[in-house]
Amino acid sequence: MEPLLLTKREKRKLASTYADLCLTCGTCSGGCPVTGVDGLDVRKVVRLALLGLDQEVIDSKFPWVCTLCARCEHACPMNIDLMTLLRSARANRARDKVPGVLHKGVEMCLKSGNNVGIPKDDFIFLLEDLGLELGEELPGFEVPVDKKGAKYLFTINSKEPFAEPEDMFYWWRILYAANESWTVPSENWEGVNWGLFTGDDEAMKEILARLVKNYKDLECEYLVLPE
Amino acid sequence: MKFVSIHDLLTSYVKEGRIKLDKSIHHHLATYHDPCNYARKSERAFGHGYYEEPRWVTQQCCENYVEMYPNRANNFCCGAGGGAWAAPYSEERIFYGRTKAKQIKDTGAKLLIAPCHNCRDQIMKSLRKEYDFEDVEVKYLWELVADSLIIEPREEAEE
Repeated sequence: MEPLLLTKREKRKLASTYADLCLTCGTCSGGCPVTGVDGLDVRKVVRLALLGLDQEVIDSKFPWVCTLCARCEHACPMNIDLMTLLRSARANRARDKVPGVLHKGVEMCLKSGNNVGIPKDDFIFLLEDLGLELGEELPGFEVPVDKKGAKYLFTINSKEPFAEPEDMFYWWRILYAANESWTVPSENWEGVNWGLFTGDDEAMKEILARLVKNYKDLECEYLVLPE
Repeated sequence: MKFVSIHDLLTSYVKEGRIKLDKSIHHHLATYHDPCNYARKSERAFGHGYYEEPRWVTQQCCENYVEMYPNRANNFCCGAGGGAWAAPYSEERIFYGRTKAKQIKDTGAKLLIAPCHNCRDQIMKSLRKEYDFEDVEVKYLWELVADSLIIEPREEAEE
């Protein structure tokens, strides 16, 4: 490896405001279940960042095996913003190098309004159909889609209409029992923002902005933050 | 713009008597998993970690309750957070989950409450099988509440 000239090193790609405060104590790595996986750990990531070896971190698997759980950050005696550092390693990956389906989900959400690309008509049909089914047990129940002036605006985790539709009954039962005023938007209803995971702030903002637009257009009082 | 979290909403429904819960349905020993995002990450980002609200709601449905150790801000991640459930590194994800699996098994609980889609899927669909605790039932927090409801059907005329 060529020696790095610190005077000539590139501007740091990885974000971490206080990483140079690191005492190298290793508390972060000591409490992390994936320390050592891919030959790395959080402490080493901080060292690599400080040495200007940003690209090694960006190209490694570690920032994606790390679940951004923030246990390390919670324990760090110097209060270093380790999540910002690790998430920026994800953000610096070329989008076609983002592992698995995460970036495809983000693109799909920007295109169709949900991560799995369920068309609006299918979504409305599914909610009507499931609403009828639950209505057999709970008289008068129906899914309030695009109901203006509802108190609570709910989003939906696309996993449910896609693969586990009957799991939506849990919340619907509770809302029925509480006699609540609520609604679901017919478009841009996705409750899972994968831009958070891929380090894609712009996509994240756009997806959130569409929810805010729904909230305003439907004149709701509260946006419900799901799990 | 106003927000409300599902924990605040569920808590208010119970406190205000808007829903009634039957504690006799879930009689097994239950435990609660703190998801990173609603617990320590929420505390750091918004100044409030949702530690007590979901525990209180769980205990409105379950008479027998036990804590995992460690818990709250020091809780271990399920291993599938940050998009790992959708990422291709399943071997690493399962390895990560070994600490969570041990925490759960050590409690002796037969019901695990997880108020997060991701945590629930990792624990229910993956860790239970990989670490041999399929005798532990896994439910969403709102699933537990929905399954404990005493519902009085509305009169159609009221609509």
